[in-house]
Amino acid sequence: MALTTHHPPPVPPGPARNRTGRHAGARRRRRRRATALLYVLPALLPYTLFAVLPALHTAYLSLFDWDGVTLPSFTGFANYRKVFSDPQLRAAAWHAGALVLFFSALPIFIGLVSAAIAARRSGRRGTAAVRTLLFLPQVVPLVAVAIIWRWVYAEDGTLNQLLRAVGLGRFADSWLGSFTWSLPAVGLIGTWVVAGLCMVLFLSGTQRIDQEIYEAARMDGAGPVREFWSITVPLLRPEIAVALSITVIAALSSFDLIYITTGGGPGNSTVVPGILIYRLAFGGGQVGLASALAVVLTAVISIAVLVINRLAREAP
Amino acid sequence: MSHSRPRPPAYLPRRLFLAAAGTTLLAACGSSLTPGAKSAASPSASGPAATAIPTDKKITLVVADADDTTMTPALLAAFHAKHPNITFKRQYTGWDDYLKSINTTMSADTAPDIAQFVSGMNNLVKGRLLLDVGAYSTAYGWPDRFPGLDQITFTADGRTTGTGALYGVPGGLSFEGVYYNKAKVKKLGITVPPASIAELEAMFAKAKAAGETALVAGNLDGGLNHPFNVLLSVYMKPADRQAWAFGHKGAKITGAEAVAAAATLKRWMDKGYMTPKVNGVSDNDATAAFAKGTGVFRISGNWAAAAVAKGLGDNAGLFNAPPADKGGTLHTTGAGVYYCVSGNTKNAAAAAAFLEFCASAEAAPIIAESGFMAPDASSMPQQSGLIGDVGSGWQAIAKDSGLEPFIQNASTPTMPDTLTTQLQLLAGGKVGVEKFLANLQSNFDQYHA
Repeated sequence: MALTTHHPPPVPPGPARNRTGRHAGARRRRRRRATALLYVLPALLPYTLFAVLPALHTAYLSLFDWDGVTLPSFTGFANYRKVFSDPQLRAAAWHAGALVLFFSALPIFIGLVSAAIAARRSGRRGTAAVRTLLFLPQVVPLVAVAIIWRWVYAEDGTLNQLLRAVGLGRFADSWLGSFTWSLPAVGLIGTWVVAGLCMVLFLSGTQRIDQEIYEAARMDGAGPVREFWSITVPLLRPEIAVALSITVIAALSSFDLIYITTGGGPGNSTVVPGILIYRLAFGGGQVGLASALAVVLTAVISIAVLVINRLAREAP
Repeated sequence: MSHSRPRPPAYLPRRLFLAAAGTTLLAACGSSLTPGAKSAASPSASGPAATAIPTDKKITLVVADADDTTMTPALLAAFHAKHPNITFKRQYTGWDDYLKSINTTMSADTAPDIAQFVSGMNNLVKGRLLLDVGAYSTAYGWPDRFPGLDQITFTADGRTTGTGALYGVPGGLSFEGVYYNKAKVKKLGITVPPASIAELEAMFAKAKAAGETALVAGNLDGGLNHPFNVLLSVYMKPADRQAWAFGHKGAKITGAEAVAAAATLKRWMDKGYMTPKVNGVSDNDATAAFAKGTGVFRISGNWAAAAVAKGLGDNAGLFNAPPADKGGTLHTTGAGVYYCVSGNTKNAAAAAAFLEFCASAEAAPIIAESGFMAPDASSMPQQSGLIGDVGSGWQAIAKDSGLEPFIQNASTPTMPDTLTTQLQLLAGGKVGVEKFLANLQSNFDQYHA
């Protein structure tokens, strides 16, 4: 019994522990911790002030019925009950789920394929140029992206001109104004923005993979498809987890793209939680309800990211 | 042996401590974090008001506005020129951000003295952050000098417009009319203005037959509210129309007259008079297209006059929306750039003097130059071209007292979003006319229950 509990505490990194002077060690540890804190402080301070405290305040506000000006009334969890019973919100949740396909699944697939192709062609000319080109959407502010795509999708926009030019004019539509196509249309803008980021992420990942593994596989007769599924995808697991985390957050918290392109319309066909929060808080004067919705959204996103990271850590 | 003792999980208490500290912190600043706590200190409605403008001391008035035309700065400059001891500090905010931040701006200790009132600010009335200017109104005689004052009177809870205390005055006013392309109308052999909605519709039919887009519109952001508001003004009795827009209890928008208005709009779409796939075009893009020469008619407000005149030049014209039947009085939709006074201002008399200045003959040309209609319509300079059409259109509306409020501005805080959504559903064929109106009514009833 005594033996099993007799685990020496893990040796801290740095200079060896002084077994004779426990107190001195503790003091040094404390001082080291203080030093560490000092390093973190410049980041921690603004983070606490501008992210943690406002978030806590939002959680606090979610317990009130408040119009933004007059005295609020404490309503406990009534706002949360409303959040879960609102049919409009259910629609918004579905749309956010659909956006995960466009913001995460599709770009990650595109990124993986393009990274695999690039890996096979590594060292050849033009890779850097292609990489820069595909990463470009990441650099442009989302609002600008949204305005550009509004023109692309317009009735006489680039997309329809293209369709008409190749004789597919009968398929031309007013994409953002269509009840059927508006959600996929804004989703594809997301795909376009995020795919480049995923590709760059995966490219740096493939550079980490030993080329000999590929060579060995090729000697064993593996084709590009086999190589992709058996080497590239499994070995890029950490990068895929990062990409998935970033893109799922982007999908679930999407606001600016949709606000500028469709504003949630036509009808409610592209309404997402972010749009509802904005409408409730700044248009509808229902700050408490908007806060409750924001808290729920934050919780959902946090859980999603936790699950992704847990799954990624498990060995294949 | 002491070191065989399991190490206390040092992280757990610390985390607990942080949580406890956070909660304590929240509780400690509870009073200051409690939203709206400050607004409990209420400014009382003013007593008898002095119209004497202080001349002996230097006064600085802070003005918050979202007016992106030249009107507000020009009015401030003209007032300062007249009263050199009163200077202004203007805090301009873009339209979208203005409404987002105005609640906090007005509840701050450093609230501006004068603020532009826009729809959605009604909570400030309930929060008693705006000055009841009723006493100044009586002293200056504002009801005779400003049209549309009912649009800025509110009940104490801020929910109902058109009754209760007065909270401001309009600087410039806006109204909706029918723009037309003179060259195309001439080519089509159409004589404007039409005397009734039926005549207007016949003009649309003629334009469509000639292969034109008769009515240029965009509904990506709910721009169909312009023709819809105008049709409601034309068809509904003014009292019913205002009662609904002003949020009067029991008001209905589901009656036969409102159905006639919505059905007319729907018919224009169904007959192909309107821009096709209207849900995919933004309102601004529709104005731009019309200004570039697309289509024959466009229903919009005088704020679009500058853009249309720039694009179409001498071919730009405007007439008032005709009455439903020949010989009726004119009715259209419009609003104003309203200025209100903070309940916490220390210079109420000076601020009220600026409001009074907006009705003056000196202000009229300044307002007209910025594309708005002056409260004192008779003092507006005669102008030619499209701006001239806008001016004479306004005078005819003012003569018939035909200015009706936008239904989305006052009825409920969520009505702008609801109206946009429902108009898109109507245009997309997802709801019929009656269901469309019932959905608007349902939003109204939820708020005014």
